[in-house]
Amino acid sequence: MGKLAPYSGTFTKIELAHLLRRTLFGLTKSNLNYFKGKTLAQTVTELLNVPTAAPAPPLKTYFTRSNNTNIDNIDVDVPFGKTWVNTKYPATANPNPNGSRRISYKRWWTGLQVQQVTNIQEKMVLFWHNHLATEDSVTEQAFLAYYTNVLLRKHAMGNFKQMVRDITFDPGMLRYLNGYLNTKAAPDENYGRELQELFCIGKGPGSQYTEDDVKAAARILTGWQIVGNETINGVNNVIVPYSKYTLSRHDTGEKKFSAFYNNTIIKGVAAPKAGEERLEAEKEIDAMLNMIFNTQEVAKYICRRLWNYFVYYEINDDIETNVIEPLADIFRTNNYEIKPVLTALFTCDYFYKSEHMGCMIKSPADFTVGMARQFKWPVPTDPAKFEAQYLAYDSIRNFTLRQGMDIGDPPNVAGWPAYYQTPSFHEMWVDTSSYPERKSAYESLCINGLTTSANTFTPESKSIPIKINFVDFVKEFDNPSDPNALINEAVELMFGVSVSQSIKDSLKTNYLLLGQASDYYWTDAYNTYIANPSTTDPEGKRVPTMLRDLFVYMQSAAEYHLC
Amino acid sequence: MKRRSFIQSVPVVVGGVTVNAYGSSPMLSAMTSALYETDRVLVIVQLSGGNDGLNTLIPLDQYATLSLKTVRENVVVQESKVLPLAGTGGKTGLNPGLTGFQKLWDEGRMSIIQSVGYPKFSYSHFRATDIWMTGADSNEVLNSGISGRYLAYEYPNYPVGFPNSTMPDPLAIRIGGNVGLGLQNNGVNMGISINNTKDLLNLTGSVFKDPANTATYIGKELAYIREVQRQTDKFGDAVELAASKGKNLSTLYPKAAANGAPAELGQALGNALSIVAKLISGGLKTRVYWVSTGGFDTHATQVNAADHSQGAHTNLLKGVGDAIYAFMDDVKLLGLGDRVAGLTFSEFGRRIVSNASGGTDHGAAQPMFVFGAKVNPGILGVNPTIDPASTANSNLPMQYDFRSVYGSILQDWFCVPDTDIDSVMLKNFQKLKIMQDGNCIPTSVHDHNAAAGENLVYAYPNPFVDRTKIKFESKGGHTMVQIIDNQGTVIDTLVDTYLAPGKYDISCDLEMVPTGIYYVRLQNEQIQQVKSMLKVRG
Repeated sequence: MGKLAPYSGTFTKIELAHLLRRTLFGLTKSNLNYFKGKTLAQTVTELLNVPTAAPAPPLKTYFTRSNNTNIDNIDVDVPFGKTWVNTKYPATANPNPNGSRRISYKRWWTGLQVQQVTNIQEKMVLFWHNHLATEDSVTEQAFLAYYTNVLLRKHAMGNFKQMVRDITFDPGMLRYLNGYLNTKAAPDENYGRELQELFCIGKGPGSQYTEDDVKAAARILTGWQIVGNETINGVNNVIVPYSKYTLSRHDTGEKKFSAFYNNTIIKGVAAPKAGEERLEAEKEIDAMLNMIFNTQEVAKYICRRLWNYFVYYEINDDIETNVIEPLADIFRTNNYEIKPVLTALFTCDYFYKSEHMGCMIKSPADFTVGMARQFKWPVPTDPAKFEAQYLAYDSIRNFTLRQGMDIGDPPNVAGWPAYYQTPSFHEMWVDTSSYPERKSAYESLCINGLTTSANTFTPESKSIPIKINFVDFVKEFDNPSDPNALINEAVELMFGVSVSQSIKDSLKTNYLLLGQASDYYWTDAYNTYIANPSTTDPEGKRVPTMLRDLFVYMQSAAEYHLC
Repeated sequence: MKRRSFIQSVPVVVGGVTVNAYGSSPMLSAMTSALYETDRVLVIVQLSGGNDGLNTLIPLDQYATLSLKTVRENVVVQESKVLPLAGTGGKTGLNPGLTGFQKLWDEGRMSIIQSVGYPKFSYSHFRATDIWMTGADSNEVLNSGISGRYLAYEYPNYPVGFPNSTMPDPLAIRIGGNVGLGLQNNGVNMGISINNTKDLLNLTGSVFKDPANTATYIGKELAYIREVQRQTDKFGDAVELAASKGKNLSTLYPKAAANGAPAELGQALGNALSIVAKLISGGLKTRVYWVSTGGFDTHATQVNAADHSQGAHTNLLKGVGDAIYAFMDDVKLLGLGDRVAGLTFSEFGRRIVSNASGGTDHGAAQPMFVFGAKVNPGILGVNPTIDPASTANSNLPMQYDFRSVYGSILQDWFCVPDTDIDSVMLKNFQKLKIMQDGNCIPTSVHDHNAAAGENLVYAYPNPFVDRTKIKFESKGGHTMVQIIDNQGTVIDTLVDTYLAPGKYDISCDLEMVPTGIYYVRLQNEQIQQVKSMLKVRG
């Protein structure tokens, strides 16, 4: 097996920008400045260092409005602006709060992406959400989706095997793949199948598990139910849902696996000691997970998926031999710890090959969240304006959804086709229906912006304009009064790929010089405006519009869709 | 076929020139045939998740077995609630939700094919969906969909030089979702996707025209996005115009939520189909429309425990039946009935034996429904015989291969001749009588479509034995010519260099590979063209 060659070239701004584009949503000038002067090793260490504490939970920002009056009658036991995750459903569930909670959950998650700290956490949570997929519209209870998300966050940079073990008992997953209905009398194969096909083994050339293995796995997984899965009108005294095991629903018989799993036989205990029923059932599951994780295929499958998500979708023989196999080796040697694998990936020679830069088509989340972050979309920071924040997150969530990525609701258990569907893969993000959505998203955000409603529940969030200030955006540039430097830096931030000088010249002439020939035309206008933003100077006062038009035009380039 | 016989018998004046015989002049054919021959439409309705065929098309003569506790007791629909199909002697019926299909049956607009599948079925949603879209064997991965290959056969030069006067419209349209593998041919989208008829854009005069070297990943993706930008633009006007000219006449489409009332079952599917009807009536020459609806993965509670004739699965079918019936009503009222046919498919059926969750697990064969005024009404195949000793693993045996269904429709509806059908289906399948006779009259329409657009690469001779010549044209710049097998693997790269604009030819030696279909792909900056070629025994 080949060894993974470390990147040995100079770690310049080009490599830094590439690394940040792939590990964060959107490349920002302040991120570039922050890491300037740090080594590759320092940068990667910092990017992969994610917080272990759970973020503050989602808030209630929903209410009804009738006859021009706001009424706080949804989820009456939760005060407005407080979280609902620790409060059971109200006794009288009319209006039904669950739908509102689900939207609140998705806004919260989008908010975490938009407000991401400078580390890989949000990219990884999305990776695992796509990989160990559940659909909020199927699990239905907002509690379930929220706690599945908490689980993914907890393990996002932790141990993959532990994450798979935990999600096996996760109430959201038990519900999503019918584990809670899987019994000895009628085994339900859903989770047992996807555990192998999608979560651990995959369908690569080395995957040889059989239909009988699916059935055997389903039998091992029998007997689990959910406490806290009641529908809205049921009696729900459970705040945090949990899994429950019932011996009589479990198939304690012998389960025999195929040669792919070395003909492993896993036996249950028909009459466990009192109080040890669940322990015995967990032992069977652990034995099965050990068996699965003892195959060579798990590490290779996950590393291929990481390559696909962070680098490019094509895995040729060279990549398979010289990247995937050594990475998989690192994964196994480190007992499926995620951090060593990603450290190796982001410090390896292949990651920084020029052919792998700028060749990813941005996912809808990359496109919209990245745009909001890159252009410093000014979501209010004052905690008193939480309602405005949630409204802002909701518009980002909607843009992302309309482009084909409903965060929390992938199309099915395989996640989004862009991450698995040959031969097009991430090209599937852009087609004749999603492209216009991308265009309308950047036009809405960059031209019109958002103004919160005049009828918000809290007065602090009323009628707040959330609009990109392009002057603030370029003020961070190294030399914004020089039109050539400004265009260079805009290209560097916005495009994953460089463009020719003639294009840069044309952008400068058309948008910063308004057809004039001399650079000082822009320099004078810009300096006039900066000196006095309410200037009446005919050129100076046009600066904000000129910048807006420049950036919106640059967003129409195919290059803007790459990262 | 009245209009065609009119043309055949009466002199036609085109541009002041009187010509007598239809088809005798390529020019006349070019000017008239498109109007009359490309007007056949196929609507594909995908039911995602794996539809429970046994609770859809119900064998009433098997009730003693179906009702057994060890068989389907948990989900079987009460016999008295099944909708019997007239003329089957009470032996076969439909799920109580499928009142729409029952009406189509009674009106002679429905052909049903029993137990459709393929050998060695897959239980994986994703693999099985790919198989149904591509027509692959279960151990084979294909990079093109059946419909995609058909469209590439009909319009081999697409997308270079499209739209053009012969084909001014998208070849295929998917309403909602990605274009998808089904409408692809070797990585080229042969259709476009729209969500509604108002979101297409106008893109003009971009300065972002740096050459895209498609030999690199970046260049490939840049070229891809530019192609989408271009398509969004070039077909936008055509679709918008058709939408503005077209109309819907049926009042039967399931209604959207309004005034506190929830949306009627099948509303989303009906809305997609109403867009299809509107675009056809607005004059689009688009051949294939693709719509989909989900929720058929009924592992749990597919029926109400107290009343198996009600519940999630019945609701899904009610939506499908009502939406399709409304669509058929619409095309009839619009006078388009003879031009439109459609089919439903799902990636698999479900197991014979129900599970304890009141649902059914992934299975194999399933019935297919083909609808339209020109279908051959009736049922192909017989009711499956259910074994009382069925176990959790038992599946319905397949009676027909799904590729027979597609192949027969391509031959009898889109008039792909016997000599060419294998190059689309890639194998030989049993022909089924699904469409009525007399839909196809030999004409030169295909030759005309095949000539549309710019022919930048082709093999000559084709078919060939061992060796052929690849003739291609470069517009200048990076040019690559590759030979690809039918699984998408590049088996040879003949050209990968910078060329001056001009016409070239290069010999291609395929002596060492098996007979069958291959593709030659030309990539020239952002231009991509893929053509098929057939290696035969000498």
